[in-house]
Amino acid sequence: MNAILVSVVVVNCVLALLFSLGAAPILVWIERRVAGLIQDRLGPNRCHIKGFRLGGLIQSFADMLKLVFKEDFQAKSIKQSFFFSLAPVIVFASAFLTFMVMPFADHLVIGEQTFRMQGLPIDLGILWFLAFAGLSVYGIMIGGWASNNKYSLLGSMRSAAQVISYEAAMGLSLVSILITYGSIDLVSIVNFQGNTVFGILPSWGIVLQPLAGLIFIVTAFAEANRTPFDIAEGESEIVGGFHTEYSAMRFGLFFVGEYVAMSASSALIVTLFLGGYHLPYFNTQILHQHMNLFLMAVMVFVPLMSLFFARWIRRNNRFSAQVDIRNRESKVLLKVLAGVNVLIVVGLALFLIMGLGETGVHIATAVIQVATFAVKLLLMNFVFVWVRWTLPRFRYDQLQDLGWKVLMPLAIMNIFITATVVVVFGV
Amino acid sequence: MGIKIVKREGGSLKDRLYIPAIFGGMKTTLRHFITNISDTSKVKTFSYPEVQPSDITSRYRGIHRLTKREDGSIRCVACFMCATACPAECIFIEAKEREDGVDEKMPEIFTIDVLECVFCGGCVEACPCDAIRMDTGIFSFVALKREDFVLTKERLLSHEAKKETL
Ligand code: SF4
Ligand code: SF4
Repeated sequence: MNAILVSVVVVNCVLALLFSLGAAPILVWIERRVAGLIQDRLGPNRCHIKGFRLGGLIQSFADMLKLVFKEDFQAKSIKQSFFFSLAPVIVFASAFLTFMVMPFADHLVIGEQTFRMQGLPIDLGILWFLAFAGLSVYGIMIGGWASNNKYSLLGSMRSAAQVISYEAAMGLSLVSILITYGSIDLVSIVNFQGNTVFGILPSWGIVLQPLAGLIFIVTAFAEANRTPFDIAEGESEIVGGFHTEYSAMRFGLFFVGEYVAMSASSALIVTLFLGGYHLPYFNTQILHQHMNLFLMAVMVFVPLMSLFFARWIRRNNRFSAQVDIRNRESKVLLKVLAGVNVLIVVGLALFLIMGLGETGVHIATAVIQVATFAVKLLLMNFVFVWVRWTLPRFRYDQLQDLGWKVLMPLAIMNIFITATVVVVFGV
Repeated sequence: MGIKIVKREGGSLKDRLYIPAIFGGMKTTLRHFITNISDTSKVKTFSYPEVQPSDITSRYRGIHRLTKREDGSIRCVACFMCATACPAECIFIEAKEREDGVDEKMPEIFTIDVLECVFCGGCVEACPCDAIRMDTGIFSFVALKREDFVLTKERLLSHEAKKETL
């Protein structure tokens, strides 16, 4: 045990927490605002702390507080009290644990030591994901059964039907990409994607295996219980589905678990198909070599983006009442933005002048890769939300048809093609 | 009359692939998202308590009012037609003799419990003297106590017709 090891582990844990648990309120916020904007309305934009609305983000925290302080009601008809309480824990814990193996950056080398930048530094990667992602449905099934309620039971039956329809296709689509990458360790998978094919396209999974990518993304939507495959809920048919009987924080765990699962699915999609923590064309080695150039680019890029953002704030972040504390926010935000920019530019300039040293370059690379991963994760989560507010819900027999009659044959075909190509060309 | 064969949609390969249609839909939603986020003033909704609706017409059934005669006295003759017509039975009238010679009767008490009222407009239709109307344009009526929702005669007389803005 030494100080560096401890600090890297702590940083990893904090990052994993931030990306999964910390992302939940942000994702709820994104979901509601994006839904609003897609439907030509604004979404939550009033809740504020001393005038700070942060575009409505405060609303999510208010909602969380509300969930925590609500009465945790349990109907008398519920006999299986233990399982009733266990169900949300399973959903939440399995969603949370899936996230733990996502690599945020390449192996970090400090001095003699090498660290894996993951919440849990293990190389099981995909197997871990499959194991825990498959587990979360037990939470839904147990919850629906223990609720002792017809609608809940129907909801959990539907989610059981859903699992048998997508898991096979998902597993088979993973097989073909495993053949391509030749590893189950997510870090080596991402590093594989750091190169280019034919010298032009980044060799991301989606370029090498578009079909597997498509199948996996579709099944990942089903896995995360998101529209168009959120058939375990279905407000119009079976009330809340499996969580009809739940209230307060027990419901909160289901709710947060859904978003963590969505974040985990996005993380896996990003890791397997969208190049993970790599910027396109800049893999770890290139970043190491050209760190100075890259930092300069950041020094130009960040203020430019901020300028753009500042213009957006000035134009759009207004409150409709003239005399309102919420109108103060924009001025403060602009000042904060300017301050952050000055800090970044000055800090980077200092680094450039003093030189980073080898360790410094490695750490800077890790920071850049974490940032890249965060941006990609956010974009993928946005896609999840975007799809949810575009597509209607599938009927569960339709999902079964899709899973067994379309996706699975395609996945098997894809395995054969991939295997043939790998064997014949030996790539 | 020949037989008209309606072509069934959705049979072509492109339709059955779903993907083009899905991307088409996603393009539409993204377009809405981008236009709205790049300029939030383009959003069709308005921020309600700060911005009040401007499209309430004179035919809108809002909170009731009791109309007045030319001399400013109450028009109602306490005939109980409105109370009889009211499906919610939320109009309570107590009649008294009218002393000033304008008419024979007038209400001593005339209250409407707007918590019970279903805003059907039956009272307005029933009144033979055009003494009760719902053209105040008041669409949001809030109070802290239940009792405050029981509108008295004075309160009803104090409501004015909505000024025509359109
Ligand atoms: S609007 Fe209808 S319910 Fe209301 S007071 Fe008049 S008659 Fe009664
Ligand atoms: S408001 Fe009209 S209907 Fe009702 S008691 Fe008065 S005069 Fe009669």
